[in-house]
Parts: sequence; structure tokens; C-alpha cells
Amino acid sequence: MNTIWTIVKKELKRFFTDPRMLVSLFLPGILIFAIYTLMGDIMTNITRPKDTDFNVYVVNEPNEFKSFLQVEGWNITLNEENLSKEEILEKIKEKEVDLYVVYEEDFYSKMMSYDSSSSLKAPQIEIYYNSTNDASGLIYSYYTGLLDGVESSLANKFDINSDPSINFDLATSKDTTVYIISMMLPFLLIIFLFTGAMAICSESIAGEKERGTIATLLITPAKRSHIVLGKIISLGITGLASSLVSFLGLILSLPSLMGTSFDFSAYGVTTIILILLLIIVTVLMFTTILTIISTFAKSVKEASSYSTPIMILVMLVGLSNFMTTSAIGNSLVYLIPIYNVMQCLVSIFSLSVNYLNFAICIISNVVYIALGVFLLTKMFNNEKIIFNK
Amino acid sequence: MEELLQVFHLRKTFTLTRKQQKINKTSETKKVAVDDLSFNAYKGEIYGLLGPNGAGKTTTLRIISTLIKADEGDALVEGISVNKNPDGVRRKIGFLTSELKLEDFFTPNYLFDYFSSLHQIDKEKANKRKEYLFNKFGIENFKEVKVADLSTGMKQKVSIVISLVHDPDIIIFDEPTNGLDVITAKIVTDFLLDLKKEGKTIIISTHIFSLVEKLCDRVGIIFNGKMIRDDTLENLTKEKSLEDVFFELYKQEVGE
Repeated sequence: MNTIWTIVKKELKRFFTDPRMLVSLFLPGILIFAIYTLMGDIMTNITRPKDTDFNVYVVNEPNEFKSFLQVEGWNITLNEENLSKEEILEKIKEKEVDLYVVYEEDFYSKMMSYDSSSSLKAPQIEIYYNSTNDASGLIYSYYTGLLDGVESSLANKFDINSDPSINFDLATSKDTTVYIISMMLPFLLIIFLFTGAMAICSESIAGEKERGTIATLLITPAKRSHIVLGKIISLGITGLASSLVSFLGLILSLPSLMGTSFDFSAYGVTTIILILLLIIVTVLMFTTILTIISTFAKSVKEASSYSTPIMILVMLVGLSNFMTTSAIGNSLVYLIPIYNVMQCLVSIFSLSVNYLNFAICIISNVVYIALGVFLLTKMFNNEKIIFNK
Repeated sequence: MEELLQVFHLRKTFTLTRKQQKINKTSETKKVAVDDLSFNAYKGEIYGLLGPNGAGKTTTLRIISTLIKADEGDALVEGISVNKNPDGVRRKIGFLTSELKLEDFFTPNYLFDYFSSLHQIDKEKANKRKEYLFNKFGIENFKEVKVADLSTGMKQKVSIVISLVHDPDIIIFDEPTNGLDVITAKIVTDFLLDLKKEGKTIIISTHIFSLVEKLCDRVGIIFNGKMIRDDTLENLTKEKSLEDVFFELYKQEVGE
């Protein structure tokens, strides 16, 4: 018993007195709290309508169903304008109208007299919407939800959007592509860019310190600033290559993953140039941050531990924008590192780039990289940091 | 005689970590590693810094080679100050210590070209130098083998060659034969004597008396960071062996 207790005490002392061990033991719990709380907030934000003004057309609306479109806090405008069906559908495509509901003539009495055990066709309701329009998607879900409830309680006495030959979702393939991509890709891309850089940067300077090769380099007449720039550029190129391969893999697998065809024609050469420019600057910024950490660390293991909080920060920033399809307009936001990249990615992928904000993002990140290189050069000249094995 | 290296009143203090305080059983937060140390080395001679472990030999050599900075004092390498122009000093010296390692992934051939490029030596000159040094150290046979696959002796040879790519006038070797087998140690000591013949100035640090007796023209004996005696080997060993002189001084200075 004494031996067991001796071993237990020794092992516990090892676990609870090593700061690295403490971080790896307790950080996941803290992270789970932070990430899940944030995810909860995000989901609440997604389900909470940002736009509560809805523009709706309803044809042959039964009096009994009129209350369906009276929702507290929502401003639903029932259009009386005499437009043709084609004109209304066009307006839905253009996101000027959110919902178009067509009941059969004399729907309510037909529904009440309908025998669901008969082979006759049930009374029909057609509901047109545009899934790439947040307001349209929301009111469509709400309205069909109510009707489904009524339908179930009346033993299937009517059908909603039952004709498979009609496309009730009026979003074009191009719109759908832009919508899905701007929702998902910014988050995934920023994670790829960070992990691509992290995989090599943690090892870079800390690895050289561990192996004793850094002093061999520092004894040459090469300027410290040149050594730093050489390291960052080479790490940046490698990180960029790794990230681009992951990104390409994702793009190619996206149609299968989402189970829908994608029309990338919305993204022209300008978009590709903007994305590439942003990716290059972002990779260089991540590389600079991670190289600073690697230079400060005494070993590769320590560098990886120190990089973890930055990875969490990147994930949190990514998550804070996950599932959003519009970027923030305030230009000051584009001075905040990492967050500005996320906002720019959302704006580029959603085809709503504000060139001033994009320029602020690129220039501020280049300034941060330059400051990082300056700091790294100072660190390379500091023997307490560079020889802190 | 032409003074190629002048060291003036060097002083270096290190801050002790808690761990180091525990190991050294001291509550002092600072340790003086080099204390008002001065000496000169002349063209074409081998100068030996002799002292026990922890005497401050390596710290002195690291200051001269610009890897670390002195708190006080200066060193002039061919008239260039290590404090004011460390990049200029690095062009003039070759520094080798067991703490300098080579990247395992690369071959001696690649590393020679890489370090030649960092020293901004033109390709033709670098190739001639490579041929000479590779032949001298017998590296030609394994020049395309990755460092990871080389023996300790082979690695040491490659390290020496890499530190000499730029044909420096002053060569600083910290414990030059430490950890070497007798054959490689012999190659290294013979090479140091060859370099001396070529008119190079060599500074070595060691605690091995026989090595000093075999190689050095002048000797600086250091205890606790202080230069206790700086004289020619001939003067030091006129009446007693180097070992006896060393321990006599040690008794006087350290009192043990």
C-alpha cells in the first residue's frame, strides 16, 4: 500500500508541477467552454432573424389562415400589387420579394371536404422562395412549419409543393454556390492557412536551437534581418503550398460533400487575385507570429504548446464568422489582425468586396508583418532568447 | 609582432535562473563569468586559454566570435570592434565549438556551398577552397552523404571545414579535440599546426595540458573568469611543468 501511495504521489507531483502538463490537462476544458459557448451564440444568431421586414405575396389566402402571417416583432408586408406570376418569381430571384404563396381556388372548403383515403389529388399549396436570401429562407421555414402542423392535425388533407417538376426554390445555381461558399469557406480557409503554417513554424527556430544549428548560422556574416526574412519567406512558401493543396482538395470535394452542383462562374479573375493576395499576406502574418513564438521557445515541444492558444484564437475568430454571409462595413474592424482577414474572406466569397476595407486589411497586415520581422531581428540579437536552451 | 586580436577588460555577468541557483547552492542572482579579462594574440601564433570547467574560457571565445555581447570591455579583431561591427568581425574569424552543429538533412557538399554563399564568396574561389579542404580532411569520399549518416569524427571534420570556408585569418576553436577519437584528434591538431605555418592566428580553449604543450606559443590561465597569468609557454615552463605551474596558481588563487 505504501509503495502504491509513493508512486501515486510521485506521478501527481509530476502532473501538477509541470506547467506544460498543466496546460495540456486543463486547457481543453477551458477551450470546450469557450468554443461551445461561442457556438451556442452563433446558432442563436443564425436562428434569430437579422432582417424582420418581409415582403410577401399570397394568392387565394383562406381567411382561416390569415393569422399565420401576423407574427409579433415581424413586419410582414402583404403585397396587393397586381403582378403576373412570372413577375413575382423574378422579384424573388432578385431578392425583392421573400415569399410567394399560391393556394388553390376555394382551398379551405376543398381541404375540409377532401377524403385523404381517396385516390383523388389533394388540394395544393405552392410556396416559392429563394434559399440564398436569409429573409426568404426564414419566412419559408416558418410558414411551411405552420402548414405542416395543420396538415398533420387534419390527416394530410392538402399537399405543399408536391409537384416535382416545379422548382420552388428560385435560387440559381450561381447564387447557391456563392451562398454556401461564403458561409463555409472563410472559416475552413483560415484554419487551413494557420495549421499549414503551424506545422512547419513550430519546428523552425526552436528546432534549430534544439539541434544546435542556429549558432552555426549566427556565426556567419549574414545580417540578422536577412536571416529572419529568409526564414519567414521560405516558411511562408511552404505553408502556402500546404494550405493551397488543402484548399484545392476542399473545393474539389465540396460538390460531393454538399450533395449539390456548384457553379463557380460567379467568381472571376478579380476574385481569384484578391483571394490569392489575401492568402499570401495571411500566411506571411501567421508565419511571422509563429516564428516569433518558435524563437522565444526553448524546444519544439514548447513552441507547439505556446502556439496552441493562437490556434484557439484563430478558431474562435473563424467560428465567430461561421455561417454568416455578409461582412462588417466598419473600416476600423479591418485593422484588427486575423479578424480583418476573416471579414475580407467573407466579403470576397459573398461578392460584396469593399475595396477600401480590403486595402486597409492588406496594408495593416503588411505593417504587422514588418513589425514582426523587426521584433524577430531584435530577438535574434538577444542572446538570452536565442541561446535560452 | 602584429597583433591580430586585442581583448580589453572583458566582463560578462549571467543572470542565474532558480534552477541554476539550486544547482550552484547559492542565493546570488548573478554570476560573473568573465571578470576584467584582457589578452592579445599575434599573427601566426597559437594562443591557448587554459582553465578548469566554468572558468570563463568558452564565454570569452563566444564574446570574441560575436555570439554573445560583453557587459563591459571590447575585443578588436584585426582592428574591428566586436561591439561596434560584429558583422565585420564575423568575416574575419572562423569559430568552432562542439555546440555548433550542422543540419543532419544536408550533405557536406551542399553545406559548404551554402555557407560559402552566406560568406559571399564567389563560386570559383569557393570551389577551389572546397577542393583543398575536402582533400585535406578526406571529405571527398563522403561529400554527398547526408550529415545524419556520418560518424562523429566525420561530422567534426565537416564542421571544421565549414568554419573555414572563408579562409579566415583568425581561427577560434573551443575545446578542439573534445569528444574526438584519437585519429580525428590527431588530424585536427596537425591541421592547426599547418594553419599556424600558413600564418593564421589560432585561439584555442582547453583544459588539457598536453594539448597546450603540443600546440601553443602563448598561454592564458583563467580561474573564475579572471586572467591569472598570460605568458609564452616557454616562460611558463622554464622551471616547472605546465601542470605544476597551473596547480600552483590554482592553489594561490582559489585556495583549494
